[in-house]
Amino acid sequence: MAGSLALGLVLGLAGLSFAMRAIGPFLPNLPAAITERTSGLAPALLAALVAIQLTGANGLLHLDVKVPAVILAAVLSALRLPLIVCVVAGALVAALLRAAFHL
Amino acid sequence: MRAQRSVREILLTAAPIALAVFVFAVSFGVLAIAARIPGWAAVLMSALVFAGSAQFAALGVITAGGGVVTAVLTGGLLNLRYIATGIAVARSLPGGRLLRALLGQLVVDESYAMAAGAGEPGRPDRRTLLLTGACLYSVWVAGTLVGTLLGPVLGDPRRLGLDAAFPALFTALLWPMLSARHAVRCAIGGALVAFALAPFTPPGVPLAGAALVGLWLAR
Repeated sequence: MAGSLALGLVLGLAGLSFAMRAIGPFLPNLPAAITERTSGLAPALLAALVAIQLTGANGLLHLDVKVPAVILAAVLSALRLPLIVCVVAGALVAALLRAAFHL
Repeated sequence: MRAQRSVREILLTAAPIALAVFVFAVSFGVLAIAARIPGWAAVLMSALVFAGSAQFAALGVITAGGGVVTAVLTGGLLNLRYIATGIAVARSLPGGRLLRALLGQLVVDESYAMAAGAGEPGRPDRRTLLLTGACLYSVWVAGTLVGTLLGPVLGDPRRLGLDAAFPALFTALLWPMLSARHAVRCAIGGALVAFALAPFTPPGVPLAGAALVGLWLAR
């Protein structure tokens, strides 16, 4: 990625994050309706990110080692294991399956 | 009112979380290099954004072939929850509006959770919030730096399963949210919209569609 694009990515994300963290302490009396409404964004976006990661270049569902990685991450999260354990286990199972079956 | 905890006590409680955050930051640095983002940009992003899920989401969009604008908006929307935590900690922060807005940048999920646990109802503990936040911030930036230095040494990210780390991470971030019924509705809606739009549209559109569905189904 070109340096100017990377800088745009960093500053864009930094600006949005700064604003969102600053709003509450700056204006503590925001109506609760706004925060209630936005609570649906995180689950919808995370689920969509999982979906996008599971699709191939043609946009269709692509069944590969990412599927067992996702299933394992879900099972370990359900068992309340720390986030980093779920992630590392997911990557590890993908790496092992790839090495074992030459995928 | 509980007795005020010492700096030492607070840092000892934060240590295991700091260790996990460090490992997480190293993996962010490694994955950023794998996504061909320059090392300096990854470290700068950790220093200025300081939000794991948003940074990984932005990386995930770039890795999936999406553009910078999509990556910024997706990461930014995931950070909307910090508006709510910002309101929750506002009364715990010292100083005038500007100082509070600056100190509010130290709020992440982990520092907020620890401060809420150590404080009184409706008033997260100030020292825990600021100390834990500052500790996690240092660890997050340092870990990213280590990751960007480690990235080029590790070789093919696919061989290490690093591409599968993204969907595994997003799944693990999503799972605890699903205890709320509206979140289940929003997650299913978001995934269905993304799957439906992905074959016909560039990478940004499925995520934008999912965001709209999330807002629509929130109540």
